[in-house]
Amino acid sequence: MTSENGTTKAQTALAVPSRSLAWRRRRDSAARFWRQYRAHRAGLSGLAALLLFALLALTAPLLVGSDVDNVTDAPGGPLEDPSARFPFGTDRFGRNLLGLVIWGARVSLLVGLLAAVLSVAIGTLIGVTAGHFKGWYATVMMRITDWFLVMPTLVLAIALATVMPRSLLTIVVAIGVTTWPTTARLVRAQTLAVETRPYIERARALGGGHWHIMSRHVLPNVMPLVLAQTTLIISTAILAEATLAFLGLGDPTVVSWGALLQDAREAGAVSSGHWWYLVPPGVAIAVVALAFTLCGRAVEQVLNPRLGVSR
Amino acid sequence: MTADAASAPVGKTGAAGPAAAPHGPGARTATAYLRYVAGKLAGAAVSLLAVLVTSFFLFRLIPGDPVKFMTGGRQVSAEQFAHYRAQFGLDLPMWQQFTDYCGKALTGDLGTSYQFNAPVIDKITEALPNTLLLTGTAFVIYTLLGIFLGTRSAWRHGRLGDRLNTGLALTLYSVPSFWLGLLLIVTLSVGIGPLPGLFPTGGMESGGEEGFAYVVDVAHHLVLPVVTLVAVEYGQTLLVTRSALMDEMGSDYLTTARAKGLRDDLVRRRHAVPNALLPTVTLIFINLGRTVAGVILVETVFSWPGLGGLFYQALSVPDLPLVQGLFLVFAAAVIVMNTLADLIYPLLDPRVGR
Amino acid sequence: MDTNDQYGGHHRTPARVPLGRTPARAPLGRTPRRARLVAAAGAAALALSAGLATPLSPAPSQAHAADDDGKKVLTVAVAQSVDSLSPFLAVRLLSTSIHRLTYEYLTNYDPEDNSVVPGFANKWESSPDKLTWTYTIRSDSKWSDGEQATAEDAAWTFNTMMTDPGAATANGSFVSNFEKVTAPSPTQLVIELKKPQATMTALDVPIVPKHVWEKVDDYSKFNNDKDFPVVGNGPFVLTDYKPDSYVRLKANKDFWRGAPKFDELVFRYYKDQDAAVSALRKGEVSFVAGSPSLTPAQAASLKGEKNIHVNDAPGRRFYALATNPGARARNGETMGDGHPSLLDQRVRNALFKAVDREAVIDKVFQGHAVEGAGYIPPRFSPYFWKPSPGQELTYDPDEAGRMLDRAGLKKNADGRRIGKDGKPITYRVLCHATDPNDKAIGQYLQEWWGELGIGVTLNCLDNVTDPWLAGEYDLAFDGWSVNPDPDFVLSIHTCAALPATPEETGATDNFICDKTYDELYARQLAEYDPDKRAAIVKRMESRLYDLGYMNVMAYPNAVEAYRTDQIESITTMPAKAGNIYGQDGYWSWWSAAPADSGDSSGGSSSTGVVVGIVAGVVVLAGAGAFFTLRRRATADERE
Repeated sequence: MTSENGTTKAQTALAVPSRSLAWRRRRDSAARFWRQYRAHRAGLSGLAALLLFALLALTAPLLVGSDVDNVTDAPGGPLEDPSARFPFGTDRFGRNLLGLVIWGARVSLLVGLLAAVLSVAIGTLIGVTAGHFKGWYATVMMRITDWFLVMPTLVLAIALATVMPRSLLTIVVAIGVTTWPTTARLVRAQTLAVETRPYIERARALGGGHWHIMSRHVLPNVMPLVLAQTTLIISTAILAEATLAFLGLGDPTVVSWGALLQDAREAGAVSSGHWWYLVPPGVAIAVVALAFTLCGRAVEQVLNPRLGVSR
Repeated sequence: MTADAASAPVGKTGAAGPAAAPHGPGARTATAYLRYVAGKLAGAAVSLLAVLVTSFFLFRLIPGDPVKFMTGGRQVSAEQFAHYRAQFGLDLPMWQQFTDYCGKALTGDLGTSYQFNAPVIDKITEALPNTLLLTGTAFVIYTLLGIFLGTRSAWRHGRLGDRLNTGLALTLYSVPSFWLGLLLIVTLSVGIGPLPGLFPTGGMESGGEEGFAYVVDVAHHLVLPVVTLVAVEYGQTLLVTRSALMDEMGSDYLTTARAKGLRDDLVRRRHAVPNALLPTVTLIFINLGRTVAGVILVETVFSWPGLGGLFYQALSVPDLPLVQGLFLVFAAAVIVMNTLADLIYPLLDPRVGR
Repeated sequence: MDTNDQYGGHHRTPARVPLGRTPARAPLGRTPRRARLVAAAGAAALALSAGLATPLSPAPSQAHAADDDGKKVLTVAVAQSVDSLSPFLAVRLLSTSIHRLTYEYLTNYDPEDNSVVPGFANKWESSPDKLTWTYTIRSDSKWSDGEQATAEDAAWTFNTMMTDPGAATANGSFVSNFEKVTAPSPTQLVIELKKPQATMTALDVPIVPKHVWEKVDDYSKFNNDKDFPVVGNGPFVLTDYKPDSYVRLKANKDFWRGAPKFDELVFRYYKDQDAAVSALRKGEVSFVAGSPSLTPAQAASLKGEKNIHVNDAPGRRFYALATNPGARARNGETMGDGHPSLLDQRVRNALFKAVDREAVIDKVFQGHAVEGAGYIPPRFSPYFWKPSPGQELTYDPDEAGRMLDRAGLKKNADGRRIGKDGKPITYRVLCHATDPNDKAIGQYLQEWWGELGIGVTLNCLDNVTDPWLAGEYDLAFDGWSVNPDPDFVLSIHTCAALPATPEETGATDNFICDKTYDELYARQLAEYDPDKRAAIVKRMESRLYDLGYMNVMAYPNAVEAYRTDQIESITTMPAKAGNIYGQDGYWSWWSAAPADSGDSSGGSSSTGVVVGIVAGVVVLAGAGAFFTLRRRATADERE
């Protein structure tokens, strides 16, 4: 298994059950991970972009005020051109578009994060259990996974979003429920590989139960994989949120990047030449999606150098 | 399972891909291949059946009474309701509706669309060629472009050209396709500043053209949606080709070939590229199936009269039989293409005995 | 492969595939050179098709007012799909408009003032007991296949609708009260009624040719879209149809009222309104209506454009906020789950007093609408009613708050108003996900009523039919197009329109059932003096206003635009400040006169040249870049 790194070795060394030792090894491996990650320029720029957006999203109430999405007290006229006061112009209600794009980062990032966590959580749960418990349980689980894998995802997500009431939760669920199977496959493969290792045999011989083995031995070993997978899926999820909102399946009262694009389209911004209504939200989506992809790729390459760019 | 595990770098090797293809020694003989084919076909059949079940039950979850949707708020008496229910078989118990649905679906009868009052299969066959034209054209272009650029990139990996290439591919890859489509419409269709609009804003034809003029007209309408699809799709082929090729270039046999004094570019062309294309082939098939379902957005933005637009229209009614039928078609496209990829892969892989 | 990562139609994360190892036959392009060539060829073909198409094909960029052979073509952008081309089945606006153009109806409406004018029938009279109507059918109308159109065709059409449920799908309600329909002579049609019917001069039923349609075996399945041209006798003949691409009609040169001035009429599909507007700007289409109208931004940007006229006409729609009056069926059983607090008229009125109609007009419609008052839009001046100053529910949020206090909905410590059940009040507002105005006003409601201490949940659906019919809403965005005769829009608020049982569907709009209103409705129905009837209708509007179940916020304008270099003149309806698309009649397209075509084709061919040159430069630049890169690549490989 090429994707093994310090974490695994730290685990192997657990024959000496010293908590502090293990802790130090983990810290060491984290430091090693960071040193290797630092070498990936693209990954670093992705990370920087992410931190910037995260900062913007967290400080949005201070930066633009929490009443930026208020329609009754909109400061400008509808669809004003960019100006010193409104650098991106105003939206169809006369709200400050720059403020809305910053505010929209909160929802877009939150939905992306939650959906990815949900997706990876389902995937990991099914992957680990299907890898650990073999037999009919694994067969059934993997058949379900395969079956989800062949579903046309966008179609399925649109269908789910139509079936459920329009809300952020719906979007999170629609994305989470449709994107987990890849993770499940990968995690299961990794689990199978991990479980063949001698120390698992030892742990089993020492009377370790299923729960113990899965949570103490398997899970730490699949965590790096899960981390990379999460990063990549967030990118998918942010785009998916934008897509569903753009198709009008989101909550119309919530400001997100996709919803802004849909607003722009509904207001007729495309044909009336109000391009500044369209460009900022789209750029924001693309930049954040790209940043997550870059980070994900960098993490992947650190964990699995065989795939490296530099070879 | 080793194949699966080994190729499961954090990379997205899924199961639907050829990861499960028989690389093991057991697959050396023709009988083994036949057995493998039978297994794959059986798997595909099971998947199709599962999709059939999903398409029936998933859309039953949409709250509300289809007959009320159908009659759209017109005054309807209890007798008329009963009449409509009977006409569409909605008065039968669920399990019977389900078996009817399955039985008919197997004979190609997908029911009658509520809103168009026409057989679902007719609506689908009407829109399918348009979708295939759009996705087919885009598919050919982005596949060739992806392979071409991916190969170039791998040749000179790490250099500026490669970095620009991959960077652009990754960036376009992160762009929402509908947004790119809208921007293309604003700039190239509507025209911006002194630039006049070069392309039609939407649709597939102006109507009324015949012969060669018709072909040119459709080609003209095809440009922007195809450019959009190509832009967002080619990156994946590029990256896969690139990484496969780079992997290949580190292989021992290449070093040997080089040691034998073969010219570098010859080695690459004769050996490395053909080999590296193997994984790409799989990707190609899977993409083909997937793209059919993935054009919903592009078709919506460019008013392309295809399956995607039809699906969206059907969902908003909701026109249950049409929604079910389209869902079935989308899923079947993916399943069929995945299966084809599975079947072809061992044939291309020389380790499966010839 | 991650088949699941396909949002936006493409993979999100670069996929990796298991890697082949030993040399093998390449499935694609044996050598990279070949692959490269193929790719280049593909790219070039694409670029060429782009470059070539513009100068060669006149269609896309050249004015549609004139075709090559001098045919005058009028192209109209549409978005709505055709549900059916069979007059027995079609209910959508586009389909029924096409039937208006291709078939005759017994009567038509005057574009000047909406009064009834002759159509397929020249004259009509009713017996003293109003139970027998005799129509004189014109003898100068021929079917497009040469057969004479007669009263027999009309009788057959009505009889088919009366006897075959499949043929009654779309217009069955017109004939449900018919006793017997006969054609004693080719020019005479006699309809006998079960009881008097006010709409006998407004029978909007297309008359179809018997000799063609009697061969159809199942009217519920026949969509009339296979054999072209479709036999008809309207001002246009339907010659071609491709779903979601176009509908093509040819002028009927023998039309009795006179041939249309354009030779062809094409409805072309633009599912996206922005695409339609750009197409208008480029001259690909001559007319855009928008669905239901152009957005303020689009109208504003088109207004500055040369050769484009924006027709901003008072609309025939009202746009209202309906309140659930405690939905019930005629048999007294209650339905749905409307909020009980809304049963109090003070609460309904208070809510509407907190709706700033001026902001709705200024911000949402941006001036393309008229502030709401009575139920019937001002365009129908005989019936237009305004509340008196004392009666009017003016915008006054403070007073609204006091009214709610008086109604017993007190605020709690958090400033939320508490219902009788002790829970904070949150109203569910049903909205159409496809209507941007619903969503925009919904956001304003959230804030306006939020100030009052009342929560709002916007429940936006693509299709609101189901919760609506079940009465599962508190408030809802509502709107109807009003006909010249207001009978229909008035009838949908009578108790008689309620569904008979909760399982059935009634004609009711919003479950309103009010005795006073019903009495007035019956009186206006029996009143034959137009002025007296109008006075009663106004009293009904006043009653409706006070009840607060239908709160009219605005009368949206019909905002449409056409190219003046392609359309010289076109009849609006009503003639003064009226709309063009969706008229009651065929006036707009029948009357449209082509503009002098020399002008427009000259302009567009020069555009064509510019476009051609630009495309050529792009292709050349692309080719140049390609070869430069390639040479460099070869050099690189040699180093």
